[in-house]
Amino acid sequence: MLTKADLEEILQVARRGGNFAEIFLEKKETTKIGCEAGKIERVISGSEQGAGIRVLRGEHTAYGYTNALDKESLIALARRVGSAARENPDTRVSLATRNSQLALPVDQRPDEAEIDKKTALVWAADRAAREVNEELVRQVTVNYGDAIQQVTIANTEGTYVEDERIRCRLAVNVVAAEGDVIQTGFEAAGGTRGLELFETEAPWELGLKAARRALLMLNARRAPAGRMAVVLAGEAGGTMIHEACGHGLEADLVQKRLSVYAGKKGEQVASELVTVIDDGTLEGKYGSFRFDDEGNPARRTVLIERGILQNFMYDYLTAARDQELPTGNGRRESFQHKPIPRMSNTYLVPGDASPNEIIRETKTGLLVRRMGGGQVNTTNGDFVFEVAEGYVIKDGEVSMPIRGATLTGNGPEVLKQIDMVGRDLGFAIGTCGKDGQGVPVSDAQPTIRIPELIVGGILEEEGERD
Amino acid sequence: MRETAKRDERELVAAVVDVARKGGAEMAEAYFARGEELVVEVRQGEVETLKIAREEGIGVRVIRAGRLGFAFTSNLNWPAVKKTINDALANVRTASEDPYHSLPDPPAAYPDLNLEDPTLRDIPLAEKIEKAREIERAGHAFDSRIKLTERATYEEAHYQVTIANSRGLLASYRGSFCGGYAVLVAAANGEQETGFGLQFTRKFKELDPGKIGREAASKAISLLGARRLETKRVPVVFDPYVVTNFLGIIASALTAEAVQKGRSLFAGKVGKTVAAKGVTVVDDATLPGGLLSAPFDGEGVPAQHTVLIKEGQLQGFLHNTYTAAKDGVASTGNAARGSYKSPPELGSTNFYLTPGESAPEEIIKGTSQGLYLAEVMGMHTANPISGDFSVGAAGIWIEHGELTKPVRGMVIAGNILELLETVDAVGNDLRFFIGKGAPTIRVTGLTVSGK
Repeated sequence: MLTKADLEEILQVARRGGNFAEIFLEKKETTKIGCEAGKIERVISGSEQGAGIRVLRGEHTAYGYTNALDKESLIALARRVGSAARENPDTRVSLATRNSQLALPVDQRPDEAEIDKKTALVWAADRAAREVNEELVRQVTVNYGDAIQQVTIANTEGTYVEDERIRCRLAVNVVAAEGDVIQTGFEAAGGTRGLELFETEAPWELGLKAARRALLMLNARRAPAGRMAVVLAGEAGGTMIHEACGHGLEADLVQKRLSVYAGKKGEQVASELVTVIDDGTLEGKYGSFRFDDEGNPARRTVLIERGILQNFMYDYLTAARDQELPTGNGRRESFQHKPIPRMSNTYLVPGDASPNEIIRETKTGLLVRRMGGGQVNTTNGDFVFEVAEGYVIKDGEVSMPIRGATLTGNGPEVLKQIDMVGRDLGFAIGTCGKDGQGVPVSDAQPTIRIPELIVGGILEEEGERD
Repeated sequence: MRETAKRDERELVAAVVDVARKGGAEMAEAYFARGEELVVEVRQGEVETLKIAREEGIGVRVIRAGRLGFAFTSNLNWPAVKKTINDALANVRTASEDPYHSLPDPPAAYPDLNLEDPTLRDIPLAEKIEKAREIERAGHAFDSRIKLTERATYEEAHYQVTIANSRGLLASYRGSFCGGYAVLVAAANGEQETGFGLQFTRKFKELDPGKIGREAASKAISLLGARRLETKRVPVVFDPYVVTNFLGIIASALTAEAVQKGRSLFAGKVGKTVAAKGVTVVDDATLPGGLLSAPFDGEGVPAQHTVLIKEGQLQGFLHNTYTAAKDGVASTGNAARGSYKSPPELGSTNFYLTPGESAPEEIIKGTSQGLYLAEVMGMHTANPISGDFSVGAAGIWIEHGELTKPVRGMVIAGNILELLETVDAVGNDLRFFIGKGAPTIRVTGLTVSGK
């Protein structure tokens, strides 16, 4: 095992090449259980370890990683990564341990639980989904995963953090079919929690919800196409906020002027009803952590307050450039990746309208009760997200379900348009991809109304318009 | 058993299989992979990020009483490997029984593919950095409205795979590739648009950095001033890259796994017409120069050329050893393994839509009104089971056979089967983007939603 003194020595070697050096050591034990077609098809145990060394010289980053965790290999890697930058005089590094105030307690560690307990969760979800409708539910896929990640992070500024992150996740995907129509329903829960997570997020309930959604969509009509008012329910998840504004507020994109929000701190970028927060300290949420992957404590950062752009999400490098403090948003998928600014748990703060009232006051439009995946082009702010469960709103009433809709809009335009914000708040989990790195995140929003969004549906041939 | 830290990979995988057998596995397999990567990212001529890396690991698959267990480790010290074998054996107990689990026999021979550029390691780093710089320079020189570099990279990878199983299979190969990638930003009148260009090749000397940069630049410039148009149903001409985005969905639906599990839109359609006559879809792991070419798949089954859709008619599906046993056919060598961290799945190799006769310019010229689709956004939200898709779209409006004004912020929606059936023109410009290839195509009508 590497001692603090070993790490100091490795960092000193790496530091010769630049003005900042960092080492990220990781050991990760994972369990995955996959169930499909009523069978436990996959039971996978994994053990990964490795180290990433980063050397910064001004604006230049050199990064290297290896699976070898012995001191000799790491000194060799430090020399290689250090020499990728330029020579610098030697300096002494002394590390001081950082502790976190944040507990993020775990009651039932997944590595201490019997595998049978985990498979029971999987079976419960599978059974519940099938029982909803034995005939129309054609396929149920349940994936369980847990990970225990141990990290040691040390850098030439003296930061030394040892941390353990524990996460559990369960996802259910249901395929329902009737005649030629095939539809799917998805539901997932996850958190920085142990197996106690599934006491509140019951697997059977996830299975039930996923199956019901798939069945509902069998009777859905194709989405109308064109521009209309959209109500996003609180339970819909926060994909829209994640895409429409979250990514654009990551400091690397801002600094490279690849974000429509660049240079707009202090400006009105959204309706006064809009306050957006990124908070890595929320207990148990999927995007929570004690320390980010650079050893900075997780924080609550107000990004937009009453429509005014307040702050961006920073990692070490981008914070130094802007002479700001890191906001604890330096994250990476694993030792194989350099840290970059990423979201944690991002949400739009609830307002005071009642969700029902928002629907009632919308004469015609679309109600989105569940969002699926999304994507944004941060350079121009255009985003898309899919509607996993949606309904037509007619005369202020929720009417028939629709399927196959994708909504598109422009981040800044949409944020300025939001004219009603509800008092509810619903979270959803996801894996956020950026620069080829996936990290766990969660996002949330209350029920909101956007007066105009483009709904992508299908125009039928003449006379058959839905 | 020697307790030494390092040993030859062929010895290692053979030892793992041996120990797993002695531990009670009826069948056992060990899969070793090592990868090295170099990534150079430049901005304004300076190296912004340089990444050097090396990773290795081993995945152990065991079968006992019709049950499958899997475990992996990146720690190749013998005690860690032994623990991994035990984990795999322990996982067998939890898995469900399935009589079709099996491992392939050693084949008579493997195709001889030239996967390595032996000169690649000897080329100095400075020369590789220069390739990334050239990409960026060419892009910025293309047009003064190219203002920013989101990304200009040179990348290279070296890899080695060794596999052994208890039926006596023992095989390995090495490979390498290199390439460049650019995402450039064009700006004018307070608006910004991005465009990308890429090229990956087995041979360093085949890399054309100037072309990568110019492609990214011209795509970004072409979208400047893009506007949203009225919702309309029109013919749509697909750029080859956009077609490869759709091929991803088709590839997963053409796996026997999707069919056997009732989640393929092609199920029960072998021998039937599923696409227009001009549509032929092939998976070919033996393709010369193909980025996903390899002498064998993730289980050691020899690489093959498989025709999936021939002139619109569905021929069959992609198989690995498991799905082949279940259907009583032979594996097509499509056990895909992204890394040592997962057991083989089913996946495509070099998967492409074969080219037709028409030049892409002729296809545009023959379109009186429509959309030239240059970019789609949110492709991962398309439903691979129903085939329904609804994605963000950007491109150039076609009027009287000419590319006119750029459009963005629109959505195209439809169903992948309908899309395949309505292809009425196939270009002669087949291009590969890593593992997927396609020419320009045109479909007769899609709803393009906007205002």
